[in-house]
Amino acid sequence: MTKPMEEPWRGETYHGRSALKPAGFDWKVAAYILAQGVAGSAQVIAGAARAAGGADGDGLVRRARLLSVAGNLLGTAVLVGHLKTPKRWYNMLRIVRPQSPMSWGSWLLVVFGAASAATALGELLGGRFRWAWRLGEAAQAPASLAGAGMSVYTASLLSTTSNPLWSAAPVPLAAGFGAASMANAASALALLQRNAGEHESARRLETLAALAAGGEYAAMRAAERRWSEVGVEAPLREGGPKALFGPAAKGLGVALPVAAQALALVSGPGAPARDRLPPVASLGLLVGGFALRHALLRAGDDSAKRPGDYFRAAQGQPNRADR
Amino acid sequence: MDGGLAHPRAVPSAPGMDGVEVPVPQEAELTCGTRIEPGKSYGFFTDTTLCIGCKACEVACKEWNALPADAVGLTGHSYDNTGALGANTWRHVAFVERLPGTPEARGTEMPPFQSNWLMMSDVCKHCDPAPCLEACPTGALFRTEFDTVVVQQDICNGCAYCVPACPFGVVEISTGDGKAHKCTLCYDRLKGGMEPACAKACPTDSIQFGVVEELVERAGRRVEALEAAGQERAYLYGAPGTPGATNGLERLNAFFLLTERPEVYGLPAAPARPAPRARPGILAGLAAVAGLAAAALVLGVGGGGGGRR
Repeated sequence: MTKPMEEPWRGETYHGRSALKPAGFDWKVAAYILAQGVAGSAQVIAGAARAAGGADGDGLVRRARLLSVAGNLLGTAVLVGHLKTPKRWYNMLRIVRPQSPMSWGSWLLVVFGAASAATALGELLGGRFRWAWRLGEAAQAPASLAGAGMSVYTASLLSTTSNPLWSAAPVPLAAGFGAASMANAASALALLQRNAGEHESARRLETLAALAAGGEYAAMRAAERRWSEVGVEAPLREGGPKALFGPAAKGLGVALPVAAQALALVSGPGAPARDRLPPVASLGLLVGGFALRHALLRAGDDSAKRPGDYFRAAQGQPNRADR
Repeated sequence: MDGGLAHPRAVPSAPGMDGVEVPVPQEAELTCGTRIEPGKSYGFFTDTTLCIGCKACEVACKEWNALPADAVGLTGHSYDNTGALGANTWRHVAFVERLPGTPEARGTEMPPFQSNWLMMSDVCKHCDPAPCLEACPTGALFRTEFDTVVVQQDICNGCAYCVPACPFGVVEISTGDGKAHKCTLCYDRLKGGMEPACAKACPTDSIQFGVVEELVERAGRRVEALEAAGQERAYLYGAPGTPGATNGLERLNAFFLLTERPEVYGLPAAPARPAPRARPGILAGLAAVAGLAAAALVLGVGGGGGGRR
């Protein structure tokens, strides 16, 4: 007679009941990931603009710094709101836990919030007070570095769990989140620059957004291939997550911007479409960015409720940390 | 004072208790032969071949820990109307009916051992290392002096990150108080030298409490005894080097003796510690952002300010 573990798994589950608990991360967490991604990557772009340009980039840097503070405040508010005991939010700062991306995030939020606020202070008071300007410039590098962390740590947070969908593709997911954050921030800044009449700068940002969106698309395709290999892709192919991941994330976040930018490009110089279509592309990228995060959160909760997916993914292969 | 409804051993005047210190400082020595001392690892060995599905463990757990009832109703899943471990359910008896042939077939023959039933009392595994503890950003989840994993209710802020971190779907946020809850391995009882409520209540010793190293030895002997008796499918799940203690999980301080594949009981064959996935992800993400920041430099996002076509 053989031991049960020497026999193959034939798809058995315990009455089809889920073997994992869903995280229950709702739209607030999706909004947080988007807001902090925009805020973080805006500081990366501000840093690049400062490093590259002279006074030409002042308008962009100013708006990026203010945008990052706004995104950070909004993100922090919805994050505290998602806690089930919000009045104890400060307990996040009791300890530093190197193994927990949730702990990294809490501390990143503090560092990034402080550095971003300092850069904004430089913008608001720098004209009047020399020290404020100096403080703002000194805070730019830390703000950009912490901003890069803010842009991607949320993907690590999802993949450092036992959730079958989130845990299957840590590397493509984080690359996808990083690129998406850059695309979202470049889009938001392009909208602000167009609103301020800086069309040339807006066009460069739109090109950056297009590059980033291409990177995001490639990374998410790699993630999808990985999910199919492991056999956990089903939740993204049905119900609400399907609509969010397909039409919303890929349609509004990829196809619409590509079409709008292409149309703007082929319309002749001076045609109204040349200036009116790019903002449509930018808005599409932002809406698509939210849809992507929300789709993944909801599909992850569905994934946790599918014992077959979990048991298939947990069939004894070595730790998939390197994928 | 006659002690009211107190346990006879807790009453000085009870027969045969002359000269015995009251309350008994190490009651667990009397009930399961285990002295409870800080610094040692304590856990459960749950032998599913002894489980009769009486659910005394579930009741004892609810009673001692004052846990409210979960959904009251019928699940249709054999005699399992508890359903799953959760915020208010820290022991869960699983029932698997094994009928020969098709699912519609009726069991007309009774095998000589365990009839047609598999029953198993599930519980938090008190993993070492524990994924929930490694996920917790507040330090509410901590490892006690008895090598068990406990949520400090006065610290937890309900961030819920421990919930998806657990590879066994054990931890849950209570809808009542908004904090994470799970089995404490009766931390309060251990501090008082008492055996955990479920193990003490178990009438067949399917649930055995003790020092983990001793339990593992005992469990190994039990597997050999079962093999000798003709139950050759018996194996351990969660003891060091066995299924369940895989992919970075060194051991489960609450481990099991099973006779079918783990999935049949709702357990993953090879659970993994999630923490090693954190670093490759963040590095890949930062590389993507750095690449795009370089692209921003090349594109000259800082230039062209004020230009109006």
